[in-house]
Amino acid sequence: MKKESTHLPLFILGGVILYFLSGMVDELRVYQGASIAVYVIAISSLILLTGYSGQVSLGHGALLAIGAYSAAISKNELGFPVLASFIVAVIITAAGGALLGAAAARLSGPYLAGTTLALAVGLPSLANQFEILGGEQGLLFDVGFPPLSLGEDFTQYKWFFWIAGLAALISMWLVNNILKSRYGRTWRAGRANDVAAQLAGINTGRSKVLAFTISAGIAGLSGALLSMTIGTVSPSAFPLALSFSLLTGAVLAGITTLGGVILGAFVLVAIPEVADVIAHRLGASEGVTTNLPGLIVSGLLILTVLFVPNGPVEQHRARKAKHEALLGSKHK
Amino acid sequence: MQLLNTLLIGITAGSIYALMAIAFVLVWRSTRVVNFAQAGMALLSTYFGYEAVSRIGSFWVALPVAMIGGAIFAALVELILMRMLVKHASSGPIAGVAPIIATLGLLGVIRAVISMIWGGQDLRIVAPISNNGFTINGSTLVFSPLKLLILVVVVILLILLSVLFQKTNLGLALRASAHAPEIARLSGVRVDAVRTLGWALAGAAGAVAGLFQTVNGNGNFSPDSIEFSLLLVSGFIAAVIGGLDSLLGAVLGGLFLGISISFVLIYVSSGLFFIAPFVILLVVLFVRPQGIIGVKAGRRA
Amino acid sequence: MKALNRRKLITASAVLAIVGLAATAIPAQAKEVGVSSTEIKLGMTLPMTGTASLGYNKIPGAAKAYFDYLNANGGINGRKVTLVVKDDRYVPTEAVAKTNELILKDKVMALLAPLGTANVKAVASSVNPGRRGIPVLFVNTGFSGFADKKKYPTTYTVLPSYVMEAKIMGQYIKENFAGKKIGLLYQDDDFGTDALAGFKTAGVNFAVRVPYASGSQSATAAAGWITKFKAAEADVVILFGVSSATSAMLGTAAQLKYAPQWMLGSVGGDATTIRATGVPAAVLTNAIGFSPVPATTDMKDEYVKFFSDIYAKAVPGSPFDLNVLLGMNTAFMTAQALKAAGPNLTRKSLINAINTKGATFANSALVPAAYSRTSQVGLTGYWVGRYSSTGDLAPVGGSYVAYTTDSGSGAVVKSTYKRPAMPAKGLPN
Repeated sequence: MKKESTHLPLFILGGVILYFLSGMVDELRVYQGASIAVYVIAISSLILLTGYSGQVSLGHGALLAIGAYSAAISKNELGFPVLASFIVAVIITAAGGALLGAAAARLSGPYLAGTTLALAVGLPSLANQFEILGGEQGLLFDVGFPPLSLGEDFTQYKWFFWIAGLAALISMWLVNNILKSRYGRTWRAGRANDVAAQLAGINTGRSKVLAFTISAGIAGLSGALLSMTIGTVSPSAFPLALSFSLLTGAVLAGITTLGGVILGAFVLVAIPEVADVIAHRLGASEGVTTNLPGLIVSGLLILTVLFVPNGPVEQHRARKAKHEALLGSKHK
Repeated sequence: MQLLNTLLIGITAGSIYALMAIAFVLVWRSTRVVNFAQAGMALLSTYFGYEAVSRIGSFWVALPVAMIGGAIFAALVELILMRMLVKHASSGPIAGVAPIIATLGLLGVIRAVISMIWGGQDLRIVAPISNNGFTINGSTLVFSPLKLLILVVVVILLILLSVLFQKTNLGLALRASAHAPEIARLSGVRVDAVRTLGWALAGAAGAVAGLFQTVNGNGNFSPDSIEFSLLLVSGFIAAVIGGLDSLLGAVLGGLFLGISISFVLIYVSSGLFFIAPFVILLVVLFVRPQGIIGVKAGRRA
Repeated sequence: MKALNRRKLITASAVLAIVGLAATAIPAQAKEVGVSSTEIKLGMTLPMTGTASLGYNKIPGAAKAYFDYLNANGGINGRKVTLVVKDDRYVPTEAVAKTNELILKDKVMALLAPLGTANVKAVASSVNPGRRGIPVLFVNTGFSGFADKKKYPTTYTVLPSYVMEAKIMGQYIKENFAGKKIGLLYQDDDFGTDALAGFKTAGVNFAVRVPYASGSQSATAAAGWITKFKAAEADVVILFGVSSATSAMLGTAAQLKYAPQWMLGSVGGDATTIRATGVPAAVLTNAIGFSPVPATTDMKDEYVKFFSDIYAKAVPGSPFDLNVLLGMNTAFMTAQALKAAGPNLTRKSLINAINTKGATFANSALVPAAYSRTSQVGLTGYWVGRYSSTGDLAPVGGSYVAYTTDSGSGAVVKSTYKRPAMPAKGLPN
């Protein structure tokens, strides 16, 4: 069997493009770019868990929170350098994911959804109970100024964008290769038919836990990066709405494919702006303006699930495959 | 006295969660879908009730208006959204998560539209009967005529619905349409109509939950009020704790959740407000993953 | 074949991104951001919707009412003051996002009266207005930490801090409720911790302390709080929470016939807001309250008369309450600061003006402000009153008795401050 390429050159190309991009646009866009990068990582972790492994998570926000708090604490209390704190975030959240996965293995469908929902609401508020977690106002997470070697004009936001963008490229490359590997195939088998997979010798329980672990680790990274862009880690940064937004992004991206992740993340960040423009064009009242973004996001969710359930990218690919199959059969 | 009051607070809150849980179970039993928009529908029904109270002035009229409005809206959602979902997204990997995502989206849409139509500010529905605590021997209990009414209504609804499901042909049809729709169809059951009916019943139950949750508080409600977020999360957790398959489980789950949260908040710390439901859920699912009165999964092929 | 499609997709995404982002390239920088020859732009973030917005969402209307009056009378050195308001729903991350919009998109000159301890903190560390030289004027929170010049170099408080308030409360309790059992309801975050620190300095020992998680305040939760206060047999119950928490508490207390001696913190103490949620005025009567500005019903006070007249014309039908008074007062002080910064208005000149002349800015407060080159602290105390039979806060016996202190270990003293007369026509001189 021909070994699938890892598409490394593609990701390097992406990096170069982003590098030039960051120099050309204004601060607000750069900041949004950092947000997009963070979402890309978070959504890809959700695709891994829900799309590939078939386990619904309504509480990914909580995993982001674990990553963020781990990074902040390891940096503030233990004095780790920033990069190390990110790695800590990945490891601790992965451990949390393993625990969650082990617990979740006994649950299915709505029970799992319910547990993750409760997790999303409950976990962030744990911060108020332990002094070290900083309570409602949270902990500071300051990654410091960009190094002077980059010049005086190099803004903080551009620095965020570089860090987040690089992390996004690396994690996307990793996730892509994991999904294409034996593990990815194992997950898809388990999702499609649990019993058949077991008959084929796959330990579905273990593979489910593995999916949770890896997904959590990646989610933890995005959580740490999210806190970097906000500068603080606090419970209010991880509301239930965040988990829902991530799920929306995953569905928009095409919950079973990685390709649309950028699109999904982009749409999530762009919607408030688009909604603002629409509201102003229509000369709408205060009430409409505030609620338009929420309406668009939720409406988009419903429409996507109805008409493009596997995501625009997958839809396009499926149509193309069908087209090619038709052409192929004509030649017979 | 503190013990008694803690218990009473828990029972009242729990009975409202039970109403919500009943709505979730009704939808699950008739269409095997978890409707995350249930609380949003309850919220919408509350607004219907508010409009009725403002025009007619009587809560007792507003209650059935809200229930009917809620039932109709729920039926419409089933007819339009759910049928489309089945048509477009019932195959492939998306099938399992599609209803969850669609109903989540619906929740957001309902909230946004309510805010646009009625605005985000607090509106008020005054309780029909007194919410002042009963006074016994000079000390006042956290239990009032209103809270007694809520409890009574929950029990009545439970009995009525259970009778419907277990003892009537309609109930049999409802159960059959969920578990084995093809066979039911062959037996002459109008499966689609029956499923819609299940949603309508759930819509009515949710409406009652919404109205009672509002008047049990200080009567103020808005799209963002904590009361409705509680309905969503705690109502769902109560249903899961009870085991999604049973109406009795829904009520037991609701009461259990309400009482345990109350004890945690009063005897441990009231700062644990958001964590308590989660921990309780974990504990229950760890001990009984199928819920209090659930059927163990795995029997299904 | 597959690899080619993948590459196409990623390239397409990149192109899309470039086109989209480049299409919003900004023009060259203005001379001073937010200042033109005709306009001064200020930005405000606060909860306009959501549980915490109760009462506070009247502040923008109040501030704008004064600014409109100011603009109609020549503005500041010929420039009109414009206020851009964004709703952050009391969520710190949204505050950060909206503040970014104000600074990067709306390009405001300064941030005015952002609301919420956690929100201002989040903005300070993420958006970092201090490092960018953006003034953060008269923050709408009493968190004592904002007085730290090193951490918040361009931030000015105006409200007396929670520590100050707690110390004054503690002094009042010592003088009037010695030996009684005291209970405290507080918010589970910096807002509450500040209060606890102040009470500690004042030496108050609580029989019971009930924290509530921010966002969880509701009538049902209040029933739980009351059960605890009852169990501890508290004689005096201090409500040091936001308006929605105070309302929930008082409303439920009425239903449960629970009536200790109430003491309301100023944050959640606005009588009009509380009564609007259905709490009967009788529940408030005789409760003890604190305010740095005159009673909102005191029409003999020239500032109160002036402000309420303007507000009644600008927002007819809306009751004039403490939130409105404080909002207009802050706008008044802002106008003074902008005028004092001179016709060559820059962010630096504004900061300099407050540092040098801030302590003398005319405003309605009955206690002095402490702005100086070394201090960015605003008002330093409160007067103590009781809520009347109509549920409005009024000074006991009709004359204001105010106390001042600091956020440290300084003593609480009776204030001898005499408020100077209001400048002519209420315009900055």
